[in-house]
Amino acid sequence: MGKTYRVLDEIVLGDLAFEATGDSVSELFSAAALAVIEAMVDPLSVGTHWTQDVRLSDVEIDDLLFEWLNTIVFIKDAEGVVFHDVRTSVNRDSGKTRWHLDATLIGDRVDVTRQALRTDVKAVTKHLYEVGQRGRTWYAHVVLDV
Amino acid sequence: MNLATLMRVKRLTEVVWEIPEAEKPGMLVPARIYGTETILRAMDAGVFEQVTNVACLPGIQRYALCMPDGHWGYGFPIGGVAAFDLEQGIISPGGVGYDINCGMRLIRTDLTLADVKPRLDALMTELFRTVPAGVGSKGFVPLSRRTFQEVMRKGARWGVENGYGWDNDLTHTEEKGSLGGADPEHVSEQACQRGMAQLGTLGSGNHYLEVQVVRNDRVYDRRVAEQFGIHGDDQIVIMVHCGSRGLGHQVGTDYVRIFEKAMKRYDIAVKDRQLACAPYQSPEGQHYFSAMNCAANTAFANRQVIAHQIREAFRAVFRQSPEKLGMHQVYDVAHNIAKVERYGKRQLLVHRKGATRAFGPGSPDVPEPFRPVGQPVICGGSMETGSYLLVGTAQANTESFGSTMHGAGRTMSRAQAKRTVRGSALQQTMAERGILVKAVSMSGLAEEAGIAYKNISEVVASVDTAGITRKVAELLPIGNIKG
Repeated sequence: MGKTYRVLDEIVLGDLAFEATGDSVSELFSAAALAVIEAMVDPLSVGTHWTQDVRLSDVEIDDLLFEWLNTIVFIKDAEGVVFHDVRTSVNRDSGKTRWHLDATLIGDRVDVTRQALRTDVKAVTKHLYEVGQRGRTWYAHVVLDV
Repeated sequence: MNLATLMRVKRLTEVVWEIPEAEKPGMLVPARIYGTETILRAMDAGVFEQVTNVACLPGIQRYALCMPDGHWGYGFPIGGVAAFDLEQGIISPGGVGYDINCGMRLIRTDLTLADVKPRLDALMTELFRTVPAGVGSKGFVPLSRRTFQEVMRKGARWGVENGYGWDNDLTHTEEKGSLGGADPEHVSEQACQRGMAQLGTLGSGNHYLEVQVVRNDRVYDRRVAEQFGIHGDDQIVIMVHCGSRGLGHQVGTDYVRIFEKAMKRYDIAVKDRQLACAPYQSPEGQHYFSAMNCAANTAFANRQVIAHQIREAFRAVFRQSPEKLGMHQVYDVAHNIAKVERYGKRQLLVHRKGATRAFGPGSPDVPEPFRPVGQPVICGGSMETGSYLLVGTAQANTESFGSTMHGAGRTMSRAQAKRTVRGSALQQTMAERGILVKAVSMSGLAEEAGIAYKNISEVVASVDTAGITRKVAELLPIGNIKG
């Protein structure tokens, strides 16, 4: 199945909810990141002149995903960029005590004349927030404040 | 009556409804919802669930309220109002929202529709150029870290002191645009980095800048309207809806995280993770209150700088000074905030999330010129249908913690609105109806279509009938800028 996400428009009115899925944790993190990125811009309209590596770790997988999505929102404002693509790799250390994310965000400075901008994401919320596994598929339910 | 809840909802008056404490375990006070029967029937299930969750929070006083423009939110419903005891009560970012001090500003002019119509395109183009909007937009005010801290401490006063506005803008702003107890020490580095470049920007979503007309037949209380500088006769006014941008969003994010951990220490259990809270008097509670005030002041400063840009755009297009054009500020109100206010002999912490302060005549917090009539209340409708200017009442002070509605309130999800309407087609249709729209995002425009909102006139009728605000004038859009 690979990575994917779908908008859950039956559970929010003013904001944006989605379910992201992946065959692996890395794919889940990519899919969820893509949902956040595509809420803000059509990635195909964004260049690739800007990149930033992100490294995060946490004991809990749901806390790590929450931190990752918040980091994307933070970088968007702090750097004034929107994103074209994202690469993620998530691993658990040998003692299985922490999860580690290595990611690269690729994009460009905001340019209203060239990019198909959509809606600003203010925050990733904890409302109905859930990360889990259904069989071999990882999933996350996320609501964004837009 | 067919409602989106199985809980028992009692009718108290024509437009006030109550859910008794017995309807949910843990409720400390009843929950009350304002609205006509039509409004109540249209309320989504989230409103009933969330307003009763709020009624369970420690230290809540009298009742948890939801205004008629209410809908599903995070923790509190949008339209939620709740007051807490300062000693026993909590403070919750979920009762304020991520966009701290999102609010409305209204500027009047002496121009009429006949003056503006021939130059509307030039005016909207100039406003679109000078007021940055949309995802990641940056403002034109270069700020050092030290200066940004001044903005957080002083709010709109920083703007006026630095040439962005007039002295009497401050007296015509809630709390004079500058809340005390704002210590940037309690604002994270990330929040500063997110917000520093954004002063004077609109943002996106439901934020906008609108040029509006006041028709004679839409002035409902001429005495009060005149007091506010509104006289009808196709008068032109300008409305701004925006907030604290990335700074406020990050303060909300930071403190939800801090409060989630703090609740275990204070043995507080909540029905929803977004109701994360801490005792108001605890170190965490006081730090959030201080950081929230920093964000609120930044929002006041943001709207102050935008007001300056609006005046300069009018100067450029009409080749007259803003003073000669009579561009005085009617008022600026916050609708996402928590504030300590006095009710009778007690001071309470009032949370308003998608609700507006609505103090009545005689209140010392209402600026001198408006004190005989009450505080102006600015309510933004959808960009297709128009907005309202209301006035606060003494009844609001005694009944609703000096609070009322803030806007129309959504009834349709963003995704559904985009499936129903195309942004470019909407822009064309609105142009044919005499409303010129400039938007950064066409999909964002579709999300804000009028069909996605409640009928604002029905919402206004609810609070007018309830007596917690009175209708003064309706403001009809002729030009709109969206992020």
